[in-house]
Amino acid sequence: MSTAEDEPQKSTGISLPWKIILVVLPIAAALASLCFGRYAMPIQDIFHAIHDAIFGGNTVSPQVATVLWSMRMPRILLALLAGAGLSAAGCAFQSLFSNPLATPDTIGVASGASFGAALGLLMNFGLMGVQVVSLIFGLAALILTILAGSNKKRSNLNSVVLAGIMMGSLFSALVSLVKFAADPENQLPAITYWLMGSLDAAGYDSLLLGAPPILVGLAVLLLLRWRLNLLPLSEDEARSTGVNVTVLRGITILCATMITASVVSMCGQVGWVGLLVPHMCRMKFGNNHTALLPASVLAGGAFLVVVDTVARSISASEFPISILTALIGAPFFIYLMRRTGGWQL
Amino acid sequence: MKLTVEHTSFGYKKSTPVIQNLSFTAESGQLIAILGPNGAGKTTLLRCTTGLLKWNKGISRLDGENTNQMPAKEIWKKVAYVPQARGSFAALNVTDMILLGTTSRVGVFATPGQKERDLVVQLTEELGIQRLLNKNCNEISGGELQMVLIARALAGKPDLLILDEPESALDFKNQLIVLNTMSRLVAEGICVIFNTHYPDHALSRATHSLILQKGGASIFGETSKIVTEENIKKAFGVQAVIGKTETAGHVYQSVVPLKVIKAQGTCEKVADSTQQQLALISCIITDPGIQPKLNTLLKQYETYIVSHDEKPLQKATIATITMSAPAEEVTSLAHEISVFPGVAVKTTAVPKQEAANG
Repeated sequence: MSTAEDEPQKSTGISLPWKIILVVLPIAAALASLCFGRYAMPIQDIFHAIHDAIFGGNTVSPQVATVLWSMRMPRILLALLAGAGLSAAGCAFQSLFSNPLATPDTIGVASGASFGAALGLLMNFGLMGVQVVSLIFGLAALILTILAGSNKKRSNLNSVVLAGIMMGSLFSALVSLVKFAADPENQLPAITYWLMGSLDAAGYDSLLLGAPPILVGLAVLLLLRWRLNLLPLSEDEARSTGVNVTVLRGITILCATMITASVVSMCGQVGWVGLLVPHMCRMKFGNNHTALLPASVLAGGAFLVVVDTVARSISASEFPISILTALIGAPFFIYLMRRTGGWQL
Repeated sequence: MKLTVEHTSFGYKKSTPVIQNLSFTAESGQLIAILGPNGAGKTTLLRCTTGLLKWNKGISRLDGENTNQMPAKEIWKKVAYVPQARGSFAALNVTDMILLGTTSRVGVFATPGQKERDLVVQLTEELGIQRLLNKNCNEISGGELQMVLIARALAGKPDLLILDEPESALDFKNQLIVLNTMSRLVAEGICVIFNTHYPDHALSRATHSLILQKGGASIFGETSKIVTEENIKKAFGVQAVIGKTETAGHVYQSVVPLKVIKAQGTCEKVADSTQQQLALISCIITDPGIQPKLNTLLKQYETYIVSHDEKPLQKATIATITMSAPAEEVTSLAHEISVFPGVAVKTTAVPKQEAANG
């Protein structure tokens, strides 16, 4: 039995104040984001509007209600989902490949989805069409990567990574080809702008199609959070715990890919979130996925809401979000790394 | 627990077998050392034994069941594997690392609870590493990490613990800690199999040894009949002498390598010679837990034992065993007694011929 003399056992999870912060952060960010923008509204209006929506009534102007419900709300929901999803996917891939540089795009899925979207834009499909084509090509990229990288005799994750990088550059080249073929007056800017990532197109229709894969992927990863700790171990070590590691890896890849493809299909390539947020959480909460994964999900959602709010508020025309994630994220990341003394890999 | 490996072979490619016609048995209470030159396939042997690789030929049974057909989950309920210690990306803290060993016993979507955490605290206390509980696996030394990995393996409550070169990268204090831990676990009743580069460790700790030669030949038996100057020459290509160092309670054997020669010939288990000895093995047993194990061991040598006396002396027990046996059997029994922790043992012997003439 541990006695008072023993070193107090440090909690392996997240301390209570941090739990509260992590839960409040995305909600607070979302509420603040509802107020900000080129049509600023006081927080009371938000509460009134929410009250109206639930209990009926007419306390806010229809203009406020429209901006709130059909413009800002879906956009914030998308930011929450995309941020949470990309962080979780990045975190899972880093552990899976035992590589701190792994991102949601490591196995070529985001490039595949980007190509799909570019193709959709080239063909002048509508927004939903672009999203569907993008999702299909994202999953196609995964299948091609797995086929190219896996070997009948034994599965080697490094060859999967290599195959993924190849598949990524293949699809990037195809994206360039589409750009080359695109009409430079309107298609090319549309494709370029889309590739930089934007939550501009958010709408309930698009969410209805894109949210379920993200939510399912997140739910499965969160449920498996303890077992994800086996992923960074060596093959023999992981197998010797009696867990079927091949299945665990397969499920992880599938969930992370589903999330990534779906995010990219809705808002293009939002870079950095999947790399920065998990590492920030690793520094703060350690590498145990029971703490790391929920923290990444919550912090990722909050982070992207904040970044997107800035993106749509700072200038008259909307600012590409990938630029901002890097501009805000990288310095903060470096600050955190220096303050915590980094973390050991 | 009983593991029997019968005439098994393995090769990554069909043309180049790594292990050929290997047979050995492992039972609870045995500590088995696997020796062999670099690249002979010691790790492969362990991986096959645990079912991480499947034997190409032959059969290996764990408590009667064919391991090639057992579901991995069933094997890992009885067997635990400690790979060579090395850091990994995203290191966990020590508590979580040890908790990973309980994973297959908690539900797929569950996280280990208080019961498992209590087990971790208990294991670390037994292994003397409770001070590490809150440290990160990257902050601790190689020796400490090795102990943590052993704790992780033990968290699965195995009957058979398999370690891949557990003491290789450690200084000799840490080597001693790891070896003592293995001896203690064996005394507590599990079976331990370990790969090692040190014939000394086999001689000082292992009840049984297995030498695997390049090309796949192997021999298995009681350590004193396996780890000999002749076999070291054949397996390692090293001319060596086995020296003896005597202390008040023990005679320790150590291998002194002299010269590199060509490794050739097939190792052979020492056979009983015609030279008969009259021998007296005297032991002071300070750990009463060893008594039943000693009795089991003496049963195996029944035919050679003339008489066996035990008398208590203060808190210890004095046991004297009189034998009339081939010299190799005397050495073998004395060696098997000497690897028990908490027993001091020495042998006095004369050739039977001399005794008759005298």
